[in-house]
Amino acid sequence: MSVPTFVLAVRLRFVSAVLAAAGMILVLLMVGALFPAVGGSIGKLDLPKGVAELLGGADYSSLTGWFRSEIGAVYGPLVIGATAITAAAGSTAGEEEEGILGLVLAHPLERSQLVLAKAAAVAVGVLIVAAGTWIGLVAGVAVAGGGIALADLTALSVHLAFFGFMVGALALALAAGTGRKTVAISVASAYAILGFLVNGFAPLVGGIEWLKYLSPFYYYESNDPIANGIDGADLAVLLAAALVLTAVAAILIRRRDLRG
Amino acid sequence: MSSEIAISTHGLTKDFGGGNGLFDLDLEIEAGEVFGFLGPNGAGKSTTMRLLLDLIGPTRGSANLLGLDSRADSLAVRRRVGFLPGDFQLYPKLTGEEVLDYLADLRGGVDAAVRDALADRFRAELDRPIAELSTGNRQKVGLIQAFMHEPELLILDEPIAGLDPLVQQSFHSLLREVTDAGRTVFLSSHTLSEVERVADRVAILRSGRLMVVDSLSNLRSIAVQRLEVGFAGDVPATAAIEALPGVREARRHGSHMDVSFAGSADPLVKALAAYDVSSLRSHEDDLEEIFLSYYRGGEER
Repeated sequence: MSVPTFVLAVRLRFVSAVLAAAGMILVLLMVGALFPAVGGSIGKLDLPKGVAELLGGADYSSLTGWFRSEIGAVYGPLVIGATAITAAAGSTAGEEEEGILGLVLAHPLERSQLVLAKAAAVAVGVLIVAAGTWIGLVAGVAVAGGGIALADLTALSVHLAFFGFMVGALALALAAGTGRKTVAISVASAYAILGFLVNGFAPLVGGIEWLKYLSPFYYYESNDPIANGIDGADLAVLLAAALVLTAVAAILIRRRDLRG
Repeated sequence: MSSEIAISTHGLTKDFGGGNGLFDLDLEIEAGEVFGFLGPNGAGKSTTMRLLLDLIGPTRGSANLLGLDSRADSLAVRRRVGFLPGDFQLYPKLTGEEVLDYLADLRGGVDAAVRDALADRFRAELDRPIAELSTGNRQKVGLIQAFMHEPELLILDEPIAGLDPLVQQSFHSLLREVTDAGRTVFLSSHTLSEVERVADRVAILRSGRLMVVDSLSNLRSIAVQRLEVGFAGDVPATAAIEALPGVREARRHGSHMDVSFAGSADPLVKALAAYDVSSLRSHEDDLEEIFLSYYRGGEER
């Protein structure tokens, strides 16, 4: 890994990652503050099973259900996923298309080392947002009156981070393989959105239930980290996928013609 | 022997399809020379340079830099080469100083004194964000990074583009210092005037194919020059002037005559001496005319 490249990549994305983390903290504080007034009165929504599944059960009567639906199901993965995908695609294919890499890679630096440095920087960005999520969860739950174990809040944050590693690595592999930022962002985002829908609906349809195993959301939330804590096997799958995709990125960029 | 050759290419080809790219380039650049690479935009100059730096891979053929293979030994090549890309960008939010810090770190550090001297020489504004710099000032940062590790070989794609005349002068003197120290410069341009003061030899590329490699003085002797002659009294017959050795064309406009000729000006000057010549104006021969003269040479054979 190229250390100067890693340091610079972290630096260039640091402010936006911290802002995303700060936004996450504010949103979670508001979500926590709203629970006493809103959560109890909504109760458990009577929705079709698949839709309820997409919304994290849509059980707003308990604090756990409230945070699971408000943050765990959609907002958290959305922010983490967007952070990871834009950073991965922007710092590789984006810089390539802008004509920056044509200069950087004329220096004595292996392309794979550059990609690994960018991958590590994406991971740092994801961890910053995940840390913000954790702080926000702890603070939001406290504002709501408490009642969710710290370990479970940590579990949700950790699962979110690993989800971010995985979709970020996918965007990295696409960006490194094609050199096209929009391809990387749109395909990785489409995969995440499709994965979100598949994870909600596939279990309802006989014969295609297995599709859920291809969704990152299955490993991120099917074992309900905010209620049941960390699931080591799920995290291992997400991490393994992230590592394999990062390795693929490092290999794909090696012999390809540089664009821009 | 091989140590005296800075760059050699053998059948180097990059086929982009549709006739675009670079085809069968055989080139040899000696250590210590300034070698000009001329051609219109899209002729394949940048493609050649990108192939040398292993930013793109050849369709076929090979290239050797400083005795190293451009593909297999690319990392070692890049350690010893300074490169200025033709259309490059730098991190827009960083200052010139920060960009140079990063690029120096990629080389494991550079001599700060060399870097500072270059910045002084070019009067570069290194404390401002790249996004706020003009093209010329960004080009200065590009030049500093190419020279700051004192590479044995410099590959510069359109280095003079955007530089004001004063900076061009300091760039030219820098090139002389570099070659005096035995280092090699391979630079491209789409106009002859940019390279004629600095290049020892020149290659002309057109549509991805090498037209000619020649010394600048030979090129000059072959190139068609244009002379505008004003006469105070009698004007010579155009047929008589066109009959002179080397003269390709003579056209009369009243008391003036436009004469284009190749090679020595001597026969023409001697013939004109019989007349009352009131003015002489020599026209800068441009790249296109040199191309044309080579084409004409080809057709006549």
